[in-house]
Amino acid sequence: MAAGDIKPQNLSGEQNNAVLIRRIADNADRVAFASLFQHFAPRVKAYMRRLGANDGLAEDLAQEALLAVWRKASLFDPERAGAATWVFTIARNLRIDTLRRERPTEPLPPEAERQDADASPGAEAELIIAERDRTLRIALQVLPPEQAQLVQLAFYEDKPHREIEVVLGIPLGTVKSRLRMAMQRLRNALDDRS
Amino acid sequence: MSVFHHPSESTLLAYAAGSLNEGLSLVVAVHLGDCPICRESVRLCEAVGGQLLEVSEGADMGQNALSLTLGRLEEPAARPAPQPQPPAQLGFELPHALQGYRLGNWRWLAPGIRLIRILPLRAGRSSLNLLRVSPGVAMPCHGHAGLELSCILTGSYVDEFGHFGPGDLAEMDGDVDHMPVADPRDGCICLIAADGKLQFRSLLPRLLRPVLGF
Repeated sequence: MAAGDIKPQNLSGEQNNAVLIRRIADNADRVAFASLFQHFAPRVKAYMRRLGANDGLAEDLAQEALLAVWRKASLFDPERAGAATWVFTIARNLRIDTLRRERPTEPLPPEAERQDADASPGAEAELIIAERDRTLRIALQVLPPEQAQLVQLAFYEDKPHREIEVVLGIPLGTVKSRLRMAMQRLRNALDDRS
Repeated sequence: MSVFHHPSESTLLAYAAGSLNEGLSLVVAVHLGDCPICRESVRLCEAVGGQLLEVSEGADMGQNALSLTLGRLEEPAARPAPQPQPPAQLGFELPHALQGYRLGNWRWLAPGIRLIRILPLRAGRSSLNLLRVSPGVAMPCHGHAGLELSCILTGSYVDEFGHFGPGDLAEMDGDVDHMPVADPRDGCICLIAADGKLQFRSLLPRLLRPVLGF
Protein backbone atom coordinates (compact mmCIF):
# COMPACT_ATOMS: atom_id res chain seq x y z
CA MET A 1 0.00 0.00 0.00
CA ALA A 2 1.56 3.28 -1.08
CA ALA A 3 1.19 5.68 1.79
CA GLY A 4 1.68 9.03 0.14
CA ASP A 5 -0.67 8.52 -2.77
CA ILE A 6 -3.05 11.40 -2.16
CA LYS A 7 -3.23 14.04 -4.82
CA PRO A 8 -3.82 17.49 -3.35
CA GLN A 9 -5.34 18.74 -6.59
CA ASN A 10 -7.58 15.75 -6.98
CA LEU A 11 -11.02 16.88 -5.92
CA SER A 12 -12.59 13.64 -6.90
CA GLY A 13 -10.57 11.58 -4.41
CA GLU A 14 -12.70 12.69 -1.48
CA GLN A 15 -15.87 12.57 -3.51
CA ASN A 16 -14.94 9.17 -4.79
CA ASN A 17 -14.56 7.83 -1.25
CA ALA A 18 -17.98 9.26 -0.41
CA VAL A 19 -19.42 7.40 -3.41
CA LEU A 20 -17.74 4.18 -2.24
CA ILE A 21 -19.34 4.51 1.20
CA ARG A 22 -22.73 4.96 -0.39
CA ARG A 23 -22.17 1.91 -2.56
CA ILE A 24 -21.65 -0.08 0.63
CA ALA A 25 -24.82 1.37 2.11
CA ASP A 26 -26.90 0.72 -1.02
CA ASN A 27 -25.49 -2.54 -2.37
CA ALA A 28 -23.26 -4.05 0.33
CA ASP A 29 -20.52 -3.60 -2.27
CA ARG A 30 -17.42 -5.54 -1.20
CA VAL A 31 -15.25 -4.14 -3.98
CA ALA A 32 -16.04 -0.62 -2.79
CA PHE A 33 -15.16 -1.76 0.73
CA ALA A 34 -11.81 -3.20 -0.37
CA SER A 35 -10.94 0.09 -2.01
CA LEU A 36 -11.85 2.11 1.10
CA PHE A 37 -9.89 -0.34 3.22
CA GLN A 38 -6.73 0.16 1.15
CA HIS A 39 -7.07 3.90 1.54
CA PHE A 40 -8.12 4.32 5.16
CA ALA A 41 -6.94 1.27 7.15
CA PRO A 42 -3.21 2.20 7.00
CA ARG A 43 -4.04 5.79 7.98
CA VAL A 44 -6.22 4.72 10.91
CA LYS A 45 -3.48 2.33 12.00
CA ALA A 46 -0.91 5.15 11.95
CA TYR A 47 -3.33 7.35 13.91
CA MET A 48 -3.74 4.70 16.62
CA ARG A 49 0.01 4.11 16.79
CA ARG A 50 0.68 7.79 17.30
CA LEU A 51 -1.85 7.74 20.14
CA GLY A 52 0.08 5.02 21.92
CA ALA A 53 -1.31 1.72 20.62
CA ASN A 54 1.31 -0.95 19.89
CA ASP A 55 1.51 -2.43 16.39
CA GLY A 56 -0.85 -5.35 17.05
CA LEU A 57 -3.51 -3.27 18.76
CA ALA A 58 -3.30 -0.53 16.14
CA GLU A 59 -3.75 -3.15 13.42
CA ASP A 60 -6.81 -4.55 15.21
CA LEU A 61 -8.29 -1.10 15.72
CA ALA A 62 -7.77 -0.20 12.06
CA GLN A 63 -9.67 -3.35 11.08
CA GLU A 64 -12.39 -2.57 13.62
CA ALA A 65 -12.70 0.97 12.30
CA LEU A 66 -13.18 -0.28 8.74
CA LEU A 67 -15.70 -2.88 9.94
CA ALA A 68 -17.59 0.02 11.53
CA VAL A 69 -17.46 1.83 8.17
CA TRP A 70 -19.13 -1.23 6.63
CA ARG A 71 -21.76 -1.51 9.35
CA LYS A 72 -22.56 2.17 9.67
CA ALA A 73 -22.38 3.09 5.99
CA SER A 74 -26.10 3.87 5.89
CA LEU A 75 -25.57 6.52 8.58
CA PHE A 76 -22.98 8.36 6.47
CA ASP A 77 -24.43 11.68 5.41
CA PRO A 78 -22.34 13.10 2.56
CA GLU A 79 -24.10 16.43 2.88
CA ARG A 80 -22.79 16.84 6.39
CA ALA A 81 -19.20 15.68 6.25
CA GLY A 82 -16.66 14.30 3.81
CA ALA A 83 -15.54 10.68 3.83
CA ALA A 84 -12.24 11.37 5.64
CA THR A 85 -14.04 13.36 8.35
CA TRP A 86 -16.55 10.59 8.88
CA VAL A 87 -13.85 7.92 9.10
CA PHE A 88 -11.92 10.18 11.47
CA THR A 89 -14.91 10.41 13.84
CA ILE A 90 -15.29 6.62 13.77
CA ALA A 91 -11.59 6.16 14.54
CA ARG A 92 -11.73 8.82 17.25
CA ASN A 93 -14.71 7.17 18.97
CA LEU A 94 -13.02 3.79 18.77
CA ARG A 95 -9.95 5.33 20.34
CA ILE A 96 -11.98 6.87 23.19
CA ASP A 97 -13.75 3.57 23.71
CA THR A 98 -10.69 1.32 23.51
CA LEU A 99 -7.58 3.32 24.33
CA ARG A 100 -9.15 5.62 26.91
CA ARG A 101 -11.74 3.11 28.10
CA GLU A 102 -14.36 5.83 28.25
CA ARG A 103 -17.63 6.37 26.49
CA PRO A 104 -17.76 8.74 23.48
CA THR A 105 -20.40 11.43 23.85
CA GLU A 106 -23.28 12.32 21.56
CA PRO A 107 -24.70 15.83 21.95
CA LEU A 108 -27.82 15.12 19.90
CA PRO A 109 -29.73 12.15 18.57
CA PRO A 110 -28.72 11.40 14.93
CA GLU A 111 -31.97 12.78 13.44
CA ALA A 112 -31.42 16.16 15.10
CA GLU A 113 -27.80 16.24 13.91
CA ARG A 114 -28.92 16.10 10.31
CA GLN A 115 -31.03 19.21 10.62
CA ASP A 116 -27.86 21.25 11.06
CA ALA A 117 -26.51 20.24 7.67
CA ASP A 118 -26.74 22.48 4.63
CA ALA A 119 -30.03 22.23 2.85
CA SER A 120 -28.33 22.02 -0.57
CA PRO A 121 -29.52 19.11 -2.67
CA GLY A 122 -27.52 15.86 -2.82
CA ALA A 123 -24.75 15.94 -5.38
CA GLU A 124 -24.27 19.68 -5.09
CA ALA A 125 -23.83 19.51 -1.32
CA GLU A 126 -21.35 16.67 -1.77
CA LEU A 127 -19.31 18.81 -4.11
CA ILE A 128 -19.45 21.72 -1.65
CA ILE A 129 -18.16 19.48 1.14
CA ALA A 130 -15.37 18.14 -1.07
CA GLU A 131 -14.34 21.68 -2.01
CA ARG A 132 -14.43 22.79 1.61
CA ASP A 133 -12.22 19.88 2.58
CA ARG A 134 -9.75 20.71 -0.16
CA THR A 135 -9.60 24.35 0.94
CA LEU A 136 -9.14 23.21 4.52
CA ARG A 137 -6.32 20.86 3.53
CA ILE A 138 -4.47 23.68 1.80
CA ALA A 139 -5.14 26.11 4.67
CA LEU A 140 -3.69 23.56 7.10
CA GLN A 141 -0.55 23.29 5.00
CA VAL A 142 0.08 27.03 5.15
CA LEU A 143 -0.57 27.56 8.87
CA PRO A 144 2.38 29.18 10.65
CA PRO A 145 4.54 26.30 12.01
CA GLU A 146 3.95 27.13 15.69
CA GLN A 147 0.18 26.95 15.11
CA ALA A 148 0.34 23.84 12.91
CA GLN A 149 2.37 22.04 15.58
CA LEU A 150 -0.29 22.67 18.23
CA VAL A 151 -3.12 21.58 15.94
CA GLN A 152 -1.22 18.35 15.23
CA LEU A 153 -0.62 17.79 18.93
CA ALA A 154 -4.29 18.36 19.69
CA PHE A 155 -5.14 15.39 17.47
CA TYR A 156 -2.16 13.13 18.01
CA GLU A 157 -1.39 13.45 21.69
CA ASP A 158 -3.75 11.98 24.20
CA LYS A 159 -3.43 15.14 26.19
CA PRO A 160 -5.59 18.15 26.73
CA HIS A 161 -3.88 21.45 25.95
CA ARG A 162 -2.98 22.12 29.58
CA GLU A 163 -0.55 19.23 29.45
CA ILE A 164 0.87 20.45 26.16
CA GLU A 165 1.99 23.41 28.24
CA VAL A 166 4.22 21.03 30.19
CA VAL A 167 5.49 19.10 27.17
CA LEU A 168 6.44 22.08 25.03
CA GLY A 169 7.14 24.56 27.80
CA ILE A 170 4.73 27.03 26.23
CA PRO A 171 2.46 28.85 28.72
CA LEU A 172 -1.16 27.66 28.70
CA GLY A 173 -2.42 31.10 27.68
CA THR A 174 -0.15 31.00 24.62
CA VAL A 175 -1.28 27.48 23.71
CA LYS A 176 -4.90 28.58 23.84
CA SER A 177 -4.39 31.79 21.89
CA ARG A 178 -2.33 30.05 19.18
CA LEU A 179 -5.05 27.44 18.75
CA ARG A 180 -7.65 30.19 18.58
CA MET A 181 -5.64 31.99 15.90
CA ALA A 182 -5.20 28.76 13.96
CA MET A 183 -8.94 28.06 13.95
CA GLN A 184 -9.63 31.64 12.92
CA ARG A 185 -7.25 31.30 9.97
CA LEU A 186 -8.98 28.11 8.87
CA ARG A 187 -12.38 29.78 9.17
CA ASN A 188 -11.17 32.77 7.16
CA ALA A 189 -9.85 30.49 4.43
CA LEU A 190 -13.26 28.80 4.17
CA ASP A 191 -15.11 32.13 4.21
CA ASP A 192 -12.88 33.60 1.49
CA ARG A 193 -13.70 30.68 -0.72
CA SER A 194 -17.40 31.46 -0.86
CA MET B 1 -32.63 28.83 23.36
CA SER B 2 -30.16 31.69 23.52
CA VAL B 3 -26.74 30.74 24.76
CA PHE B 4 -24.31 33.47 25.77
CA HIS B 5 -21.35 31.68 27.34
CA HIS B 6 -19.34 29.20 25.29
CA PRO B 7 -16.35 26.88 25.78
CA SER B 8 -12.98 28.14 24.53
CA GLU B 9 -11.86 27.23 21.03
CA SER B 10 -9.13 24.99 22.42
CA THR B 11 -11.66 23.10 24.55
CA LEU B 12 -13.86 22.51 21.49
CA LEU B 13 -10.79 21.35 19.55
CA ALA B 14 -9.84 18.93 22.36
CA TYR B 15 -13.44 17.68 22.41
CA ALA B 16 -13.44 17.07 18.64
CA ALA B 17 -10.01 15.43 18.81
CA GLY B 18 -11.21 13.05 21.49
CA SER B 19 -8.61 14.11 24.05
CA LEU B 20 -11.00 15.62 26.58
CA ASN B 21 -11.89 13.09 29.27
CA GLU B 22 -15.41 11.73 29.65
CA GLY B 23 -16.64 14.09 32.38
CA LEU B 24 -15.46 17.23 30.60
CA SER B 25 -16.71 15.89 27.25
CA LEU B 26 -20.18 15.34 28.65
CA VAL B 27 -20.46 18.93 29.85
CA VAL B 28 -19.37 20.14 26.40
CA ALA B 29 -21.83 17.72 24.76
CA VAL B 30 -24.71 19.09 26.84
CA HIS B 31 -23.77 22.62 25.78
CA LEU B 32 -23.54 21.52 22.13
CA GLY B 33 -27.07 20.17 22.37
CA ASP B 34 -28.21 23.76 22.92
CA CYS B 35 -25.66 25.65 20.81
CA PRO B 36 -25.66 25.50 16.99
CA ILE B 37 -22.68 27.90 16.87
CA CYS B 38 -20.42 25.54 18.81
CA ARG B 39 -21.78 22.53 16.90
CA GLU B 40 -20.55 24.24 13.75
CA SER B 41 -17.13 24.83 15.36
CA VAL B 42 -16.89 21.18 16.36
CA ARG B 43 -17.77 20.17 12.80
CA LEU B 44 -14.91 22.34 11.54
CA CYS B 45 -12.54 20.76 14.08
CA GLU B 46 -13.67 17.28 12.99
CA ALA B 47 -13.05 18.24 9.37
CA VAL B 48 -9.53 19.26 10.43
CA GLY B 49 -9.14 15.80 11.99
CA GLY B 50 -10.39 14.28 8.74
CA GLN B 51 -7.87 16.17 6.64
CA LEU B 52 -4.99 15.35 9.00
CA LEU B 53 -5.98 11.70 8.58
CA GLU B 54 -6.24 12.12 4.81
CA VAL B 55 -2.74 13.58 4.39
CA SER B 56 -1.09 11.33 6.97
CA GLU B 57 1.44 8.64 6.12
CA GLY B 58 -0.23 5.28 6.53
CA ALA B 59 1.33 2.44 8.51
CA ASP B 60 1.72 -0.89 6.74
CA MET B 61 -1.12 -3.26 7.47
CA GLY B 62 -0.52 -6.97 8.02
CA GLN B 63 -0.43 -9.10 4.86
CA ASN B 64 -3.85 -10.65 5.29
CA ALA B 65 -5.54 -7.66 6.85
CA LEU B 66 -7.96 -7.06 4.02
CA SER B 67 -9.00 -10.70 3.57
CA LEU B 68 -9.35 -11.13 7.34
CA THR B 69 -11.61 -8.09 7.48
CA LEU B 70 -13.60 -9.14 4.42
CA GLY B 71 -14.17 -12.45 6.19
CA ARG B 72 -15.65 -10.64 9.16
CA LEU B 73 -18.09 -8.36 7.33
CA GLU B 74 -21.09 -10.53 8.11
CA GLU B 75 -20.28 -10.85 11.80
CA PRO B 76 -22.80 -9.16 14.01
CA ALA B 77 -21.44 -6.08 15.79
CA ALA B 78 -19.52 -7.25 18.84
CA ARG B 79 -21.20 -4.99 21.35
CA PRO B 80 -24.89 -4.27 21.37
CA ALA B 81 -25.89 -0.67 21.94
CA PRO B 82 -26.01 0.07 25.67
CA GLN B 83 -29.48 -0.08 27.12
CA PRO B 84 -30.61 3.34 28.25
CA GLN B 85 -31.20 3.45 31.97
CA PRO B 86 -34.65 4.42 33.17
CA PRO B 87 -34.33 8.06 34.17
CA ALA B 88 -34.27 8.80 37.87
CA GLN B 89 -36.84 11.14 39.36
CA LEU B 90 -35.08 14.34 38.50
CA GLY B 91 -37.82 16.85 37.88
CA PHE B 92 -36.36 17.96 34.53
CA GLU B 93 -35.60 16.52 31.13
CA LEU B 94 -32.24 14.82 30.94
CA PRO B 95 -30.09 16.05 28.00
CA HIS B 96 -29.46 13.49 25.25
CA ALA B 97 -25.76 13.22 26.09
CA LEU B 98 -26.56 12.00 29.63
CA GLN B 99 -29.12 9.42 28.62
CA GLY B 100 -27.73 5.97 29.16
CA TYR B 101 -25.99 6.97 32.40
CA ARG B 102 -27.22 5.46 35.61
CA LEU B 103 -28.21 8.29 37.89
CA GLY B 104 -28.97 7.93 41.56
CA ASN B 105 -31.14 10.18 43.65
CA TRP B 106 -30.39 13.65 44.93
CA ARG B 107 -28.19 13.57 48.00
CA TRP B 108 -27.93 16.31 50.60
CA LEU B 109 -24.59 18.06 50.44
CA ALA B 110 -24.95 21.31 52.34
CA PRO B 111 -27.84 23.60 53.23
CA GLY B 112 -29.61 24.38 49.97
CA ILE B 113 -27.30 22.20 47.87
CA ARG B 114 -27.97 18.67 46.64
CA LEU B 115 -26.02 16.54 44.25
CA ILE B 116 -26.07 13.44 42.10
CA ARG B 117 -22.66 11.95 41.52
CA ILE B 118 -22.27 10.59 37.99
CA LEU B 119 -18.53 9.96 37.67
CA PRO B 120 -16.02 9.96 40.53
CA LEU B 121 -12.71 11.81 40.36
CA ARG B 122 -9.93 9.41 39.44
CA ALA B 123 -6.41 9.72 38.08
CA GLY B 124 -6.58 11.27 34.66
CA ARG B 125 -10.38 11.55 34.81
CA SER B 126 -12.75 14.27 35.86
CA SER B 127 -15.45 14.08 38.43
CA LEU B 128 -18.93 14.71 37.04
CA ASN B 129 -21.79 15.81 39.24
CA LEU B 130 -25.23 17.25 38.90
CA LEU B 131 -25.70 20.03 41.42
CA ARG B 132 -29.02 21.49 42.48
CA VAL B 133 -28.77 24.79 44.28
CA SER B 134 -31.81 26.30 45.98
CA PRO B 135 -32.96 29.83 45.13
CA GLY B 136 -30.57 32.49 46.43
CA VAL B 137 -28.05 30.03 47.82
CA ALA B 138 -24.35 30.78 47.23
CA MET B 139 -21.82 28.10 46.44
CA PRO B 140 -18.74 28.52 48.62
CA CYS B 141 -16.03 30.66 47.02
CA HIS B 142 -13.58 28.34 45.33
CA GLY B 143 -10.68 28.15 42.90
CA HIS B 144 -9.61 25.29 40.67
CA ALA B 145 -6.61 23.02 40.56
CA GLY B 146 -7.38 22.08 36.96
CA LEU B 147 -10.14 22.73 34.49
CA GLU B 148 -13.76 23.03 35.60
CA LEU B 149 -16.57 23.09 33.08
CA SER B 150 -20.17 23.61 34.10
CA CYS B 151 -23.31 23.86 32.03
CA ILE B 152 -26.67 25.08 33.30
CA LEU B 153 -29.59 22.71 32.77
CA THR B 154 -32.36 24.72 34.45
CA GLY B 155 -32.57 28.03 36.29
CA SER B 156 -29.57 30.33 36.41
CA TYR B 157 -26.79 31.72 38.56
CA VAL B 158 -24.73 34.87 38.77
CA ASP B 159 -21.04 35.09 39.59
CA GLU B 160 -18.12 37.44 39.04
CA PHE B 161 -18.24 36.62 35.31
CA GLY B 162 -21.88 37.32 34.60
CA HIS B 163 -25.29 35.71 34.39
CA PHE B 164 -25.47 32.06 33.33
CA GLY B 165 -28.75 30.55 32.09
CA PRO B 166 -29.78 27.25 30.49
CA GLY B 167 -27.22 25.99 27.96
CA ASP B 168 -24.54 28.45 29.08
CA LEU B 169 -21.17 26.89 29.70
CA ALA B 170 -18.67 28.29 32.20
CA GLU B 171 -15.02 27.37 31.68
CA MET B 172 -12.87 27.93 34.76
CA ASP B 173 -9.20 27.39 34.74
CA GLY B 174 -6.36 27.37 37.21
CA ASP B 175 -6.26 30.24 39.62
CA VAL B 176 -9.67 31.75 38.88
CA ASP B 177 -11.89 32.13 41.95
CA HIS B 178 -15.65 32.45 41.76
CA MET B 179 -18.70 32.33 44.00
CA PRO B 180 -21.86 31.49 42.04
CA VAL B 181 -25.20 32.53 43.56
CA ALA B 182 -28.29 30.69 42.33
CA ASP B 183 -31.22 32.64 40.92
CA PRO B 184 -33.40 33.99 43.79
CA ARG B 185 -36.57 32.62 42.19
CA ASP B 186 -35.67 29.46 40.25
CA GLY B 187 -32.43 28.29 41.82
CA CYS B 188 -30.31 26.30 39.43
CA ILE B 189 -29.38 22.82 38.32
CA CYS B 190 -26.03 22.44 36.62
CA LEU B 191 -23.72 19.73 35.40
CA ILE B 192 -20.16 20.18 36.63
CA ALA B 193 -16.98 18.39 35.65
CA ALA B 194 -13.69 19.18 37.33
CA ASP B 195 -10.36 17.55 36.61
CA GLY B 196 -8.76 18.57 39.87
CA LYS B 197 -9.83 19.23 43.39
CA LEU B 198 -11.73 22.44 43.99
CA GLN B 199 -9.80 24.72 46.29
CA PHE B 200 -12.11 26.21 48.84
CA ARG B 201 -11.19 29.41 50.60
CA SER B 202 -12.79 28.64 53.95
CA LEU B 203 -12.63 25.75 56.37
CA LEU B 204 -16.21 24.46 56.31
CA PRO B 205 -16.36 23.58 52.61
CA ARG B 206 -13.00 21.88 52.92
CA LEU B 207 -14.70 19.48 55.28
CA LEU B 208 -17.30 18.81 52.58
CA ARG B 209 -14.71 17.83 50.02
CA PRO B 210 -14.78 14.12 50.75
CA VAL B 211 -18.55 14.19 50.26
CA LEU B 212 -18.28 16.18 47.05
CA GLY B 213 -15.68 13.85 45.68
CA PHE B 214 -13.99 16.72 43.88
